[in-house]
Amino acid sequence: MKITTKRLLATGPAALLGATLLSGTAFADTHVDAAKAMVEKYRTLPEFQAPGDPFDAKSCMAGKKIMVMPVSSANPFNKNIVQSMAEVAAPMGFEVVEWENQAVPTQWAQGVEHATNNDFDAVVLLGGVNPALLGPQIAAAKAAGVSVQTAHLDDTTQEPDPSVDLAMRVPYHEVGELLANWTIAQTDGKVNAVILGSDEIVPTPAFVKGITDALDACGEGCKYSYINAPVPEWSTKIQTSVQSAVIADPTINYVIPIYDSMSQFVLPALTITGRSADVKIATFNGTPFVIDEIQKGNVEMDIGESIGWVARSILDGSMRELCGMDAKNELYVPFFIFDKDNAASAGTPAEFDKGYGDSYIAGYNKLWGLE
Amino acid sequence: MTWLTQSATGAASEPLHKRLLSLFERVALIVGIAVLVAIFGSIRPEAFLSWANISTMLGSQSVLVVLTMALIIPLTAGDFDLSIAANLTLSAMVLALLNAKAGWPLGLAIPVSLGVGVITGIVNASVILYFRIPSLIVTLGTGTFINGIVLWISGSMTISGLSPSLVQWVIVTRLFGIPLAFYYALALCVAIWYLLGYTMLGRRLLFVGRGREVARLSGVRVTSIRFGALVASGLLSSAAGLLYVGTIGGADPLSGNTFLLPAFAAAFLGATSIVPGRFNPWGSLFAVYFLVVGITGLTILGIQTYVQNLFYGGALVVAVALSQLARGRAPGNQLTQQERTGPSRPAP
Repeated sequence: MKITTKRLLATGPAALLGATLLSGTAFADTHVDAAKAMVEKYRTLPEFQAPGDPFDAKSCMAGKKIMVMPVSSANPFNKNIVQSMAEVAAPMGFEVVEWENQAVPTQWAQGVEHATNNDFDAVVLLGGVNPALLGPQIAAAKAAGVSVQTAHLDDTTQEPDPSVDLAMRVPYHEVGELLANWTIAQTDGKVNAVILGSDEIVPTPAFVKGITDALDACGEGCKYSYINAPVPEWSTKIQTSVQSAVIADPTINYVIPIYDSMSQFVLPALTITGRSADVKIATFNGTPFVIDEIQKGNVEMDIGESIGWVARSILDGSMRELCGMDAKNELYVPFFIFDKDNAASAGTPAEFDKGYGDSYIAGYNKLWGLE
Repeated sequence: MTWLTQSATGAASEPLHKRLLSLFERVALIVGIAVLVAIFGSIRPEAFLSWANISTMLGSQSVLVVLTMALIIPLTAGDFDLSIAANLTLSAMVLALLNAKAGWPLGLAIPVSLGVGVITGIVNASVILYFRIPSLIVTLGTGTFINGIVLWISGSMTISGLSPSLVQWVIVTRLFGIPLAFYYALALCVAIWYLLGYTMLGRRLLFVGRGREVARLSGVRVTSIRFGALVASGLLSSAAGLLYVGTIGGADPLSGNTFLLPAFAAAFLGATSIVPGRFNPWGSLFAVYFLVVGITGLTILGIQTYVQNLFYGGALVVAVALSQLARGRAPGNQLTQQERTGPSRPAP
C-alpha cells in the first residue's frame, strides 16, 4: 500500500496514540506483575536468617537488668512483646522488667528515673514512647551509664531521636508499599483507596508515604485520598469520615486503615452505606480480632508480625549494644500476609503470635549460643 | 420559675420583635441544619443530598443520641454524670464477653449488660446521696474505676465474634432506608419528651433541678428523684452501649470513652433550642444532627480533619453565645440571678 503524506498525517496521530496506549498498558501490566510478585513474597512463611554474628549471650548478659517501657501496658501488642522478652531472658540469666504505665508521659518519665536510680543497664522504650518527651530523664540516665534504646518506633527512613543510644527501627514504608501492592494486585491496577492514618504516631508519615508512592507509581489507574484520624478520635471520626468518603465517591474500592484496630470503625461505615460487598479492607498489625474478621469475610487482608520474633529481635539488638558489639538500627522482623486462605492458621478465634511458623526460635537460640 | 414559663407568661405582653427573637431562638438549630444542608447540598448535591448519605447520617449517630438522652435526665435533676461513657464501654464489653466468649445467647446477655448500668447508677446515686458528695466528683471517680474494670475483664483486647443478629437489628435492617438504630433513638427521644413535659415525675425532676430546697419544702421527695435520675442515666448509657456493640459488631476497651464530651456538647447545645434554657430531648437530638450534618458536609468536601474539630467546638460556643444574645443578654447587661445560671444548674 502506498503511503501518502495525507494518509500519514491522518494515521500518524492515531498510531502515536495507539503506541502510547500500548506502552501505557505494558507499563501498567509490568507494575501489576511487580505488585503480585511482592505480595507472593510475603504470603510464604518467613524462614529465619541470622541477622548478625553469633555470640555467647549468657556470659555477657549474666546479672544484667533491662527495663522495657511499652507505650501503654493496656496495649496488648506491646504488652505481649514485653512478656515474651521476659520469658526469653530468664533462661539466659538476666532480667527484663516491664514498667507498667497507661500511656501517660509523666509515668514514662518516672520509669526512666526509676531505671536510672535502680542500677538498670538499659531502658528500652517500646512502641510509641517518644524519646523527645523524655529529654531530661534520658540525659540523666545516660550520665548514669544506662543505655537508652527505642524499639518499634521509627521507620527505617526516619532519623531517630539523637538522644538514644540505639534505635531499633521498623521498615513501615515497606509495609505501606506492600499494602498498596496488594490492592494493585487484586484490582489489576485499578485502585481507588481511602487511606486512614493517625499523624501523631511517629512512623505514620513514612508508612503513608510508602502507600502513596506505590499508588503514584501505579499510574492513572490508581488514586487515593487520605484521612487523618487521631487515636483519641477513632471512634467518632473514622466511621463518619469513611461513610462520607464512600458516598461522595462511589468508585472507591479499598479502605486502607494503616493500623488494623481502626477496622472496627470502618466495618460499620461500610455496612451502613451498603458498600461492604464492593469496598475491601486491607490493613496492618495482625491483631487477633481483625484476623477473625478475615475468617468471617469482612476484612480482606492483614499484614502481621510475630510477637515472639519481634521480642527476640529487640533482645538481640539490646544485648549486642550492652555487650559492646555492633548493633543494627533496624529490627529483623519479617512481615506476613493473612488472607482468607491462611487466616485459620492464626487459630479460631485468632491468637497473637500464631500462624507465623517457629523457625526463629531455634534460629535465635543458635545465634545466642544456647544450643 | 423556668425560662419556659417565663416566656409563656410573658409572651402575650412582649413586643413583636422580642417574640420573633424568641421564636427564632427555639428553631435556631433547625434553621442551622437547613442552612448547612443548603450550603453543602449546593456544592456537592450528588453526594450530600443523596438518600444514601442522609440515611447514613441519621442511622450512624444513634449511639450519641441515646447517650445524650441518658445524660439530660440527671442534668435536669441538677446532677452531673461523668460516668456515662465508661458505663457505655463497660456494658458493651460485658455483652461482648458474655455473648462472644462465654456463648450466652443475646436474650440473656442483654439484660445482664443493662443490669450493669443499673448497678452503676445505684452506686453513683448511693454515694452521692448518702455521703452528700458532689455528683461531679463521684461520677468522675466511678467512671475511672469502671475504665479499670473494663481493661481488667477484657485483658485490654478488642472482643469480636458477637451474634450477627445484634448487628442485624441495629444497623443492617432498615425501615424506609434508615437503619433501625435511628428509630430506637427516636423512640427514646419521644419517651423522654413525654416524661419531662407531660408527667408529674418529669415536673418534679425539673423542680428538683431548679432548686432542691424549694422542691423539698414543696413536698417533693428530692432524694428519690435524684436517685431515680442517676439510675435511669446508668440504664440508658448501658442501652447506648448495646447500640454501640450493634453498630461496630464488637467491643473495645477504650473507644467508647470518647463519646463523653460530644454527649455533653449535644446536651448543652440542645438546651439553647426548642425549649431554650432547659435540657430537652428534641433540642439534643437536633444538636447531634446539626453537628453531624456539618462534619459530614466538611468531610464530603474533603476539608482537612482539623476543621471538623473547629466546627465542633466553635458551633457549641457560638450557638450558646448567640442564644444569650437573642435574649438580650449581651455582656454588660444587668442579669438577674436566674438568667445568669442558664439551663437547669447541675450542682457540681
